Amino acid sequence: MKIILLEPDKVLADTYRQALMQAGHKVVMCASAQAAIFAADELKPDLVIMELQLTGHSGIEFLYEFRSYDDWATLPVLVLTNVPAGEFTGSWDLLRDQLGVSGYHYKPITTLRTLLRSVNTLAPVHP
Amino acid sequence: MAHVESQQLLLGLAEQLKLPLLQIARRAELSSLGQEVDLGAIQSTADAALRLIDSYVLGVRLAESGQESLVLEPVAVSSVLYDTAQQLDSVAKFYGVHLELSIGGKYGPVLTNRQGLQAALTSLGMALIEALPALDSKHLTLQLGAHRSRYGIVAGLYSDTQTLTKETLRRGNALVGKSRQPLVGVSHSSGAGVFVADAILQAMNLRLQTTRHNRLYGLGAVLQSNNQLQLV
Repeated sequence: MKIILLEPDKVLADTYRQALMQAGHKVVMCASAQAAIFAADELKPDLVIMELQLTGHSGIEFLYEFRSYDDWATLPVLVLTNVPAGEFTGSWDLLRDQLGVSGYHYKPITTLRTLLRSVNTLAPVHP
Repeated sequence: MAHVESQQLLLGLAEQLKLPLLQIARRAELSSLGQEVDLGAIQSTADAALRLIDSYVLGVRLAESGQESLVLEPVAVSSVLYDTAQQLDSVAKFYGVHLELSIGGKYGPVLTNRQGLQAALTSLGMALIEALPALDSKHLTLQLGAHRSRYGIVAGLYSDTQTLTKETLRRGNALVGKSRQPLVGVSHSSGAGVFVADAILQAMNLRLQTTRHNRLYGLGAVLQSNNQLQLV
């Protein structure tokens, strides 16, 4: 699976990348929303894994832009974030129904194994 | 530092500390998945987190003890910047950030609290190193520099990113402890290192300011040189 990993922390991104690559996926790391848009154009990804807390933009802004392109309108997106579910339960309908987010993981309690399982099955995990 | 400010800073710090703990936890797990993990990187991450906690405690203690009991000593700004670069070196490597010292010129000693100044610059440096890879920085270089301005000697940390503005800092100060990303244009995290640095400097009757040097944008403190000390 070709994956775009939109993660602003370089050290953490590198750790996720290694785990995903070991599981046989091709991963492109992007630290910013703009870089992810460019990378998606190049890679034609099968999945985007993204943090909602980005520098300069919110992840939701990124998703609005991302979904505005026909090619990526239905691409699976997995949210892996430091924002606890309780802080955006009101926005979950927006994320799932309008922005097509397939699953949500709260970073502090999401192990690499959990992430890999989720990537492999793309089963939605709801807050 | 008022009680509310101290609590807001603590909230920002708690949020910030999730990052190194998360990095350590996931790298440990990566090792259990059979991948080779750099133990030195884990140690640097933990050391940096401990230093940030120490800096926060120092800021609160300095603020509580008051200006009158602040221990002042003649300090060479260039030596503080050099030591700060040493402390930041290992973390900078893991983030792919190049550290550069720009301490040419004679500035003479300043009368300040050396421990406080160094803790402030180190906290600031950690925050900027973490932030730079996700910014518009072309060169991923953090310059630790001193220069003379009409207000005094400026000791600061500089990069080529243009988001380090006065307005960003002003908004950040208003949002610390209330927003997940008070410095949204600069950092994806709580940016606690920047606010801890500001708290320490304020306790020393100084202030964190935006500054420009060598066409770079930065944050730093203005220190007053002391002519009498130069004669000693």
